[in-house]
Amino acid sequence: MAASAQALTLPFQAGEKKADDRELVRLSQSGTEAAFEELVRRHQQRIFALVAGILHRSDDVEDIAQQVFLKAYLGIKRFDQRAAFSTWLYKIAVNECWDYLRKRKVRPLTYEADLSEEQVSRLDGIVSSSRPPEGPNARAETREILDRMLGVLPEQDRQLLVLKEIEGFSVQELAEILNLNVNTVKVRLFRARGRIMDNYRRRMSPSAGKSHAGPAADPAAERKE
Amino acid sequence: MTTESQFGRVDCQKHEALLEDYLNAELSGAEGKAAIEHWQNCPSCRAQLEDAALSTRLLRAAEPAPDPGPGFARRVMASIRAAESERSALRANFWQPFVSFGWRFAATATLALIALVSYNARWSRHAQPNVVTVRPTEGMPMDILAPEPTTVAANADEALF
Repeated sequence: MAASAQALTLPFQAGEKKADDRELVRLSQSGTEAAFEELVRRHQQRIFALVAGILHRSDDVEDIAQQVFLKAYLGIKRFDQRAAFSTWLYKIAVNECWDYLRKRKVRPLTYEADLSEEQVSRLDGIVSSSRPPEGPNARAETREILDRMLGVLPEQDRQLLVLKEIEGFSVQELAEILNLNVNTVKVRLFRARGRIMDNYRRRMSPSAGKSHAGPAADPAAERKE
Repeated sequence: MTTESQFGRVDCQKHEALLEDYLNAELSGAEGKAAIEHWQNCPSCRAQLEDAALSTRLLRAAEPAPDPGPGFARRVMASIRAAESERSALRANFWQPFVSFGWRFAATATLALIALVSYNARWSRHAQPNVVTVRPTEGMPMDILAPEPTTVAANADEALF
Protein backbone atom coordinates (compact mmCIF):
# COMPACT_ATOMS: atom_id res chain seq x y z
CA MET A 1 0.00 0.00 0.00
CA ALA A 2 1.18 3.48 -0.71
CA ALA A 3 3.05 5.00 2.22
CA SER A 4 1.91 8.47 1.21
CA ALA A 5 -1.65 7.44 1.93
CA GLN A 6 -0.85 7.52 5.63
CA ALA A 7 -0.31 11.24 5.44
CA LEU A 8 -4.03 11.72 4.79
CA THR A 9 -6.16 13.00 7.61
CA LEU A 10 -8.35 10.07 8.45
CA PRO A 11 -11.76 10.48 10.04
CA PHE A 12 -10.67 8.55 13.12
CA GLN A 13 -7.62 10.80 13.50
CA ALA A 14 -9.64 14.00 13.37
CA GLY A 15 -11.09 13.26 16.79
CA GLU A 16 -14.43 14.93 16.06
CA LYS A 17 -16.21 11.85 14.90
CA LYS A 18 -15.12 8.27 15.24
CA ALA A 19 -15.24 6.54 11.88
CA ASP A 20 -17.28 3.39 11.77
CA ASP A 21 -15.92 0.09 10.54
CA ARG A 22 -17.50 0.53 7.11
CA GLU A 23 -15.60 3.74 6.51
CA LEU A 24 -12.35 2.18 7.71
CA VAL A 25 -12.92 -0.84 5.48
CA ARG A 26 -13.55 1.44 2.50
CA LEU A 27 -10.32 3.33 3.22
CA SER A 28 -8.41 0.07 3.64
CA GLN A 29 -9.75 -1.13 0.30
CA SER A 30 -8.44 2.01 -1.34
CA GLY A 31 -4.98 1.38 0.11
CA THR A 32 -4.85 3.32 3.38
CA GLU A 33 -2.66 1.28 5.69
CA ALA A 34 -3.46 3.39 8.76
CA ALA A 35 -7.17 2.60 8.40
CA PHE A 36 -6.47 -1.12 8.51
CA GLU A 37 -4.23 -0.66 11.54
CA GLU A 38 -7.13 1.05 13.29
CA LEU A 39 -9.38 -1.91 12.41
CA VAL A 40 -6.79 -4.24 13.94
CA ARG A 41 -6.74 -2.18 17.14
CA ARG A 42 -10.52 -2.23 17.37
CA HIS A 43 -10.95 -5.95 16.89
CA GLN A 44 -7.78 -7.46 18.33
CA GLN A 45 -9.27 -8.18 21.75
CA ARG A 46 -12.30 -10.03 20.34
CA ILE A 47 -10.16 -12.02 17.93
CA PHE A 48 -7.86 -13.00 20.77
CA ALA A 49 -10.84 -14.07 22.86
CA LEU A 50 -12.34 -16.07 20.00
CA VAL A 51 -9.10 -17.84 19.13
CA ALA A 52 -8.30 -18.55 22.78
CA GLY A 53 -11.85 -19.86 23.31
CA ILE A 54 -11.59 -22.29 20.41
CA LEU A 55 -7.98 -23.36 20.87
CA HIS A 56 -8.29 -23.82 24.59
CA ARG A 57 -5.62 -21.31 25.58
CA SER A 58 -2.92 -22.49 23.25
CA ASP A 59 0.45 -20.75 23.21
CA ASP A 60 -0.11 -20.10 19.52
CA VAL A 61 -3.03 -17.71 20.05
CA GLU A 62 -1.00 -14.64 19.08
CA ASP A 63 0.35 -16.29 15.94
CA ILE A 64 -3.11 -17.39 14.85
CA ALA A 65 -4.55 -13.93 15.58
CA GLN A 66 -1.80 -12.33 13.45
CA GLN A 67 -2.56 -14.79 10.68
CA VAL A 68 -6.25 -13.85 10.86
CA PHE A 69 -5.49 -10.17 10.34
CA LEU A 70 -3.02 -10.94 7.56
CA LYS A 71 -5.67 -12.96 5.72
CA ALA A 72 -8.20 -10.19 6.28
CA TYR A 73 -5.76 -7.65 4.83
CA LEU A 74 -5.08 -9.77 1.76
CA GLY A 75 -8.79 -10.37 1.17
CA ILE A 76 -10.23 -6.99 2.10
CA LYS A 77 -10.59 -5.86 -1.51
CA ARG A 78 -12.97 -8.76 -2.11
CA PHE A 79 -15.03 -8.00 1.02
CA ASP A 80 -18.31 -6.49 -0.22
CA GLN A 81 -19.52 -5.20 3.20
CA ARG A 82 -22.83 -7.06 2.98
CA ALA A 83 -22.07 -8.49 6.41
CA ALA A 84 -20.46 -6.59 9.27
CA PHE A 85 -16.68 -6.45 9.17
CA SER A 86 -16.52 -8.10 12.61
CA THR A 87 -18.61 -11.08 11.46
CA TRP A 88 -16.39 -11.53 8.40
CA LEU A 89 -13.30 -11.33 10.59
CA TYR A 90 -14.70 -13.83 13.12
CA LYS A 91 -15.37 -16.31 10.33
CA ILE A 92 -11.79 -15.99 9.12
CA ALA A 93 -10.67 -16.61 12.72
CA VAL A 94 -12.83 -19.72 13.12
CA ASN A 95 -11.54 -21.16 9.83
CA GLU A 96 -7.97 -20.37 10.82
CA CYS A 97 -8.45 -22.16 14.16
CA TRP A 98 -9.88 -25.26 12.49
CA ASP A 99 -7.01 -25.27 9.96
CA TYR A 100 -4.55 -25.04 12.82
CA LEU A 101 -6.20 -27.90 14.71
CA ARG A 102 -6.39 -30.04 11.58
CA LYS A 103 -2.72 -29.48 10.79
CA ARG A 104 -1.65 -30.18 14.35
CA LYS A 105 -4.08 -33.13 14.51
CA VAL A 106 -5.03 -32.33 18.08
CA ARG A 107 -8.31 -31.90 19.85
CA PRO A 108 -8.52 -28.48 21.41
CA LEU A 109 -9.37 -29.99 24.76
CA THR A 110 -6.77 -32.43 25.93
CA TYR A 111 -7.63 -33.50 29.41
CA GLU A 112 -10.26 -33.79 32.04
CA ALA A 113 -8.41 -34.40 35.25
CA ASP A 114 -9.72 -34.78 38.77
CA LEU A 115 -9.77 -31.70 40.90
CA SER A 116 -7.95 -31.34 44.17
CA GLU A 117 -9.82 -30.71 47.44
CA GLU A 118 -8.72 -27.10 47.32
CA GLN A 119 -9.97 -26.60 43.79
CA VAL A 120 -13.31 -28.17 44.64
CA SER A 121 -13.75 -25.89 47.65
CA ARG A 122 -12.82 -22.88 45.50
CA LEU A 123 -15.57 -23.76 43.03
CA ASP A 124 -18.01 -24.29 45.86
CA GLY A 125 -17.11 -20.87 47.20
CA ILE A 126 -17.85 -19.26 43.83
CA VAL A 127 -21.20 -21.01 43.46
CA SER A 128 -22.40 -20.27 46.98
CA SER A 129 -21.18 -16.64 46.99
CA SER A 130 -22.47 -13.95 44.69
CA ARG A 131 -19.03 -12.31 44.52
CA PRO A 132 -16.53 -13.50 41.90
CA PRO A 133 -12.96 -14.22 43.03
CA GLU A 134 -10.87 -11.09 43.25
CA GLY A 135 -7.53 -10.54 41.59
CA PRO A 136 -6.20 -11.78 38.26
CA ASN A 137 -4.41 -14.74 39.79
CA ALA A 138 -7.52 -16.09 41.49
CA ARG A 139 -9.54 -15.64 38.31
CA ALA A 140 -6.87 -17.29 36.18
CA GLU A 141 -6.82 -20.25 38.53
CA THR A 142 -10.61 -20.43 38.40
CA ARG A 143 -10.38 -20.48 34.63
CA GLU A 144 -8.01 -23.42 34.80
CA ILE A 145 -10.36 -25.36 37.07
CA LEU A 146 -13.31 -24.57 34.83
CA ASP A 147 -11.42 -25.65 31.74
CA ARG A 148 -11.06 -29.06 33.33
CA MET A 149 -14.73 -29.20 34.19
CA LEU A 150 -15.70 -28.19 30.69
CA GLY A 151 -13.88 -31.28 29.44
CA VAL A 152 -17.08 -33.31 29.80
CA LEU A 153 -18.82 -31.34 27.08
CA PRO A 154 -18.74 -32.02 23.35
CA GLU A 155 -16.23 -29.67 21.73
CA GLN A 156 -18.72 -27.32 20.10
CA ASP A 157 -20.79 -27.00 23.29
CA ARG A 158 -17.64 -26.20 25.24
CA GLN A 159 -16.75 -23.50 22.71
CA LEU A 160 -20.26 -22.04 22.85
CA LEU A 161 -20.23 -21.85 26.62
CA VAL A 162 -16.73 -20.39 26.86
CA LEU A 163 -17.33 -17.82 24.13
CA LYS A 164 -20.68 -16.82 25.56
CA GLU A 165 -20.01 -16.69 29.29
CA ILE A 166 -16.29 -16.11 29.60
CA GLU A 167 -15.40 -14.18 26.46
CA GLY A 168 -18.67 -12.25 26.21
CA PHE A 169 -19.97 -13.07 22.72
CA SER A 170 -23.71 -12.75 22.17
CA VAL A 171 -25.99 -15.58 21.04
CA GLN A 172 -26.50 -13.79 17.73
CA GLU A 173 -22.77 -13.46 17.15
CA LEU A 174 -22.17 -17.12 18.00
CA ALA A 175 -24.87 -18.20 15.56
CA GLU A 176 -23.26 -16.17 12.78
CA ILE A 177 -19.70 -17.21 13.57
CA LEU A 178 -20.45 -20.93 13.84
CA ASN A 179 -23.10 -21.02 11.10
CA LEU A 180 -25.84 -22.21 13.44
CA ASN A 181 -29.44 -21.29 13.89
CA VAL A 182 -30.00 -18.84 16.78
CA ASN A 183 -32.45 -21.19 18.51
CA THR A 184 -30.01 -24.07 18.13
CA VAL A 185 -27.35 -22.00 19.88
CA LYS A 186 -29.75 -21.17 22.71
CA VAL A 187 -30.82 -24.76 23.25
CA ARG A 188 -27.26 -26.10 23.09
CA LEU A 189 -26.07 -23.46 25.52
CA PHE A 190 -28.80 -24.28 27.96
CA ARG A 191 -28.20 -28.02 27.77
CA ALA A 192 -24.45 -27.46 28.15
CA ARG A 193 -25.13 -25.48 31.32
CA GLY A 194 -27.09 -28.41 32.70
CA ARG A 195 -24.26 -30.83 31.90
CA ILE A 196 -21.64 -28.62 33.48
CA MET A 197 -23.66 -28.37 36.66
CA ASP A 198 -24.16 -32.15 36.72
CA ASN A 199 -20.41 -32.53 36.42
CA TYR A 200 -19.90 -29.97 39.16
CA ARG A 201 -22.18 -31.89 41.51
CA ARG A 202 -20.42 -35.17 40.79
CA ARG A 203 -17.13 -33.59 41.84
CA MET A 204 -18.53 -32.14 45.03
CA SER A 205 -18.39 -34.15 48.21
CA PRO A 206 -21.90 -35.23 49.26
CA SER A 207 -22.03 -32.66 52.04
CA ALA A 208 -20.84 -29.84 49.79
CA GLY A 209 -23.28 -30.91 47.13
CA LYS A 210 -26.21 -30.46 49.49
CA SER A 211 -25.00 -27.24 51.01
CA HIS A 212 -25.85 -24.99 48.05
CA ALA A 213 -28.64 -26.94 46.52
CA GLY A 214 -31.78 -25.78 48.31
CA PRO A 215 -35.18 -26.82 47.02
CA ALA A 216 -33.94 -27.61 43.51
CA ALA A 217 -31.32 -29.90 44.98
CA ASP A 218 -30.82 -32.34 42.16
CA PRO A 219 -32.40 -31.41 38.88
CA ALA A 220 -30.29 -34.06 37.22
CA ALA A 221 -32.45 -36.66 38.91
CA GLU A 222 -35.49 -35.28 37.14
CA ARG A 223 -33.71 -34.92 33.82
CA LYS A 224 -34.14 -37.74 31.38
CA GLU A 225 -31.54 -37.51 28.67
CA MET B 1 -35.08 -30.16 26.83
CA THR B 2 -35.95 -33.79 27.26
CA THR B 3 -37.66 -33.40 30.58
CA GLU B 4 -40.92 -34.97 31.45
CA SER B 5 -43.01 -33.25 34.07
CA GLN B 6 -46.68 -33.07 34.96
CA PHE B 7 -46.99 -30.58 32.06
CA GLY B 8 -45.60 -33.07 29.56
CA ARG B 9 -42.50 -32.92 27.41
CA VAL B 10 -44.15 -30.93 24.64
CA ASP B 11 -44.78 -27.94 26.91
CA CYS B 12 -41.24 -27.96 28.26
CA GLN B 13 -39.69 -28.32 24.80
CA LYS B 14 -41.86 -25.51 23.45
CA HIS B 15 -40.21 -23.07 25.85
CA GLU B 16 -36.72 -24.54 25.77
CA ALA B 17 -35.09 -21.91 23.53
CA LEU B 18 -36.58 -19.19 25.72
CA LEU B 19 -34.75 -20.43 28.81
CA GLU B 20 -31.52 -18.91 27.47
CA ASP B 21 -33.32 -15.64 26.73
CA TYR B 22 -34.62 -15.59 30.28
CA LEU B 23 -31.09 -16.05 31.65
CA ASN B 24 -29.86 -13.18 29.50
CA ALA B 25 -32.84 -11.00 30.54
CA GLU B 26 -33.99 -10.83 26.92
CA LEU B 27 -37.41 -12.37 27.36
CA SER B 28 -40.38 -10.27 26.30
CA GLY B 29 -43.80 -10.36 24.64
CA ALA B 30 -46.70 -12.75 24.99
CA GLU B 31 -44.48 -15.73 24.28
CA GLY B 32 -42.20 -14.76 27.15
CA LYS B 33 -45.13 -14.31 29.48
CA ALA B 34 -46.46 -17.76 28.64
CA ALA B 35 -43.01 -19.27 29.18
CA ILE B 36 -42.62 -17.65 32.61
CA GLU B 37 -46.04 -18.92 33.57
CA HIS B 38 -45.01 -22.41 32.54
CA TRP B 39 -41.74 -22.29 34.48
CA GLN B 40 -43.47 -21.05 37.61
CA ASN B 41 -45.63 -24.14 37.58
CA CYS B 42 -43.07 -26.67 36.27
CA PRO B 43 -40.61 -27.71 39.00
CA SER B 44 -38.36 -29.49 36.50
CA CYS B 45 -37.87 -26.42 34.29
CA ARG B 46 -37.51 -24.20 37.34
CA ALA B 47 -34.77 -26.42 38.73
CA GLN B 48 -32.94 -26.28 35.44
CA LEU B 49 -33.20 -22.52 35.36
CA GLU B 50 -31.68 -22.33 38.83
CA ASP B 51 -28.91 -24.63 37.71
CA ALA B 52 -28.25 -22.55 34.63
CA ALA B 53 -28.06 -19.39 36.74
CA LEU B 54 -25.45 -21.08 38.94
CA SER B 55 -23.45 -22.13 35.88
CA THR B 56 -23.43 -18.51 34.70
CA ARG B 57 -22.05 -17.41 38.05
CA LEU B 58 -19.42 -20.12 37.92
CA LEU B 59 -18.30 -19.40 34.37
CA ARG B 60 -18.22 -15.63 34.72
CA ALA B 61 -15.77 -15.97 37.59
CA ALA B 62 -13.14 -17.13 35.11
CA GLU B 63 -10.55 -14.83 33.63
CA PRO B 64 -11.21 -14.00 29.96
CA ALA B 65 -8.44 -14.09 27.36
CA PRO B 66 -5.80 -11.42 28.03
CA ASP B 67 -5.62 -8.24 25.98
CA PRO B 68 -2.86 -8.54 23.38
CA GLY B 69 -1.68 -5.02 24.22
CA PRO B 70 -0.98 -1.92 22.14
CA GLY B 71 2.03 -3.45 20.40
CA PHE B 72 -0.07 -6.13 18.73
CA ALA B 73 -1.39 -3.90 15.92
CA ARG B 74 2.16 -2.80 15.14
CA ARG B 75 3.33 -6.41 15.01
CA VAL B 76 0.44 -7.27 12.70
CA MET B 77 1.29 -4.40 10.35
CA ALA B 78 4.95 -5.43 10.34
CA SER B 79 4.02 -9.00 9.44
CA ILE B 80 1.73 -7.68 6.68
CA ARG B 81 4.58 -5.60 5.22
CA ALA B 82 6.92 -8.58 5.36
CA ALA B 83 4.34 -10.79 3.65
CA GLU B 84 3.71 -8.14 0.99
CA SER B 85 7.40 -7.82 0.09
CA GLU B 86 7.74 -11.60 0.06
CA ARG B 87 4.77 -11.84 -2.30
CA SER B 88 6.13 -9.21 -4.68
CA ALA B 89 9.54 -10.90 -4.69
CA LEU B 90 7.84 -14.21 -5.42
CA ARG B 91 5.84 -12.63 -8.23
CA ALA B 92 9.02 -11.17 -9.76
CA ASN B 93 10.82 -14.51 -9.45
CA PHE B 94 7.93 -16.28 -11.14
CA TRP B 95 8.24 -14.21 -14.35
CA GLN B 96 12.06 -14.07 -14.29
CA PRO B 97 12.67 -17.28 -16.37
CA PHE B 98 10.16 -16.12 -18.99
CA VAL B 99 11.75 -12.68 -19.25
CA SER B 100 15.22 -14.20 -19.46
CA PHE B 101 14.10 -16.63 -22.18
CA GLY B 102 12.48 -13.78 -24.09
CA TRP B 103 15.69 -11.74 -24.14
CA ARG B 104 17.78 -14.72 -25.24
CA PHE B 105 15.29 -15.56 -27.98
CA ALA B 106 15.29 -11.98 -29.24
CA ALA B 107 19.10 -11.83 -29.28
CA THR B 108 19.39 -15.15 -31.14
CA ALA B 109 16.74 -14.15 -33.66
CA THR B 110 18.52 -10.83 -34.33
CA LEU B 111 21.86 -12.56 -34.88
CA ALA B 112 20.25 -15.12 -37.18
CA LEU B 113 18.59 -12.35 -39.19
CA ILE B 114 21.85 -10.42 -39.54
CA ALA B 115 23.67 -13.59 -40.69
CA LEU B 116 20.96 -14.38 -43.21
CA VAL B 117 20.90 -10.88 -44.68
CA SER B 118 24.69 -10.69 -44.99
CA TYR B 119 24.91 -14.15 -46.57
CA ASN B 120 22.21 -13.28 -49.03
CA ALA B 121 23.94 -10.03 -50.00
CA ARG B 122 27.27 -11.81 -50.52
CA TRP B 123 25.73 -14.63 -52.57
CA SER B 124 23.97 -12.14 -54.82
CA ARG B 125 27.26 -10.29 -55.52
CA HIS B 126 29.13 -13.49 -56.51
CA ALA B 127 26.33 -14.87 -58.65
CA GLN B 128 26.17 -11.76 -60.94
CA PRO B 129 28.96 -12.73 -63.64
CA ASN B 130 27.46 -16.15 -64.39
CA VAL B 131 24.36 -14.69 -65.88
CA VAL B 132 24.35 -15.25 -69.72
CA THR B 133 22.34 -12.96 -71.93
CA VAL B 134 21.67 -14.16 -75.40
CA ARG B 135 21.35 -11.46 -78.01
CA PRO B 136 20.84 -12.09 -81.71
CA THR B 137 24.07 -11.20 -83.53
CA GLU B 138 24.29 -9.28 -86.71
CA GLY B 139 24.24 -11.38 -89.89
CA MET B 140 22.77 -14.38 -88.17
CA PRO B 141 19.64 -15.52 -89.96
CA MET B 142 16.72 -14.77 -87.77
CA ASP B 143 14.82 -17.82 -88.89
CA ILE B 144 17.07 -20.21 -86.97
CA LEU B 145 15.66 -18.81 -83.79
CA ALA B 146 12.09 -19.00 -85.07
CA PRO B 147 10.10 -22.16 -84.44
CA GLU B 148 9.47 -24.53 -87.25
CA PRO B 149 6.19 -23.84 -89.06
CA THR B 150 3.51 -26.40 -88.41
CA THR B 151 2.57 -28.49 -91.43
CA VAL B 152 -0.98 -29.42 -92.04
CA ALA B 153 -1.64 -32.77 -93.75
CA ALA B 154 -3.22 -32.45 -97.15
CA ASN B 155 -5.02 -35.78 -96.99
CA ALA B 156 -5.50 -38.87 -94.82
CA ASP B 157 -2.58 -40.82 -96.30
CA GLU B 158 -0.20 -37.99 -95.60
CA ALA B 159 -1.39 -37.76 -92.13
CA LEU B 160 -0.52 -41.44 -91.57
CA PHE B 161 3.13 -40.78 -92.44
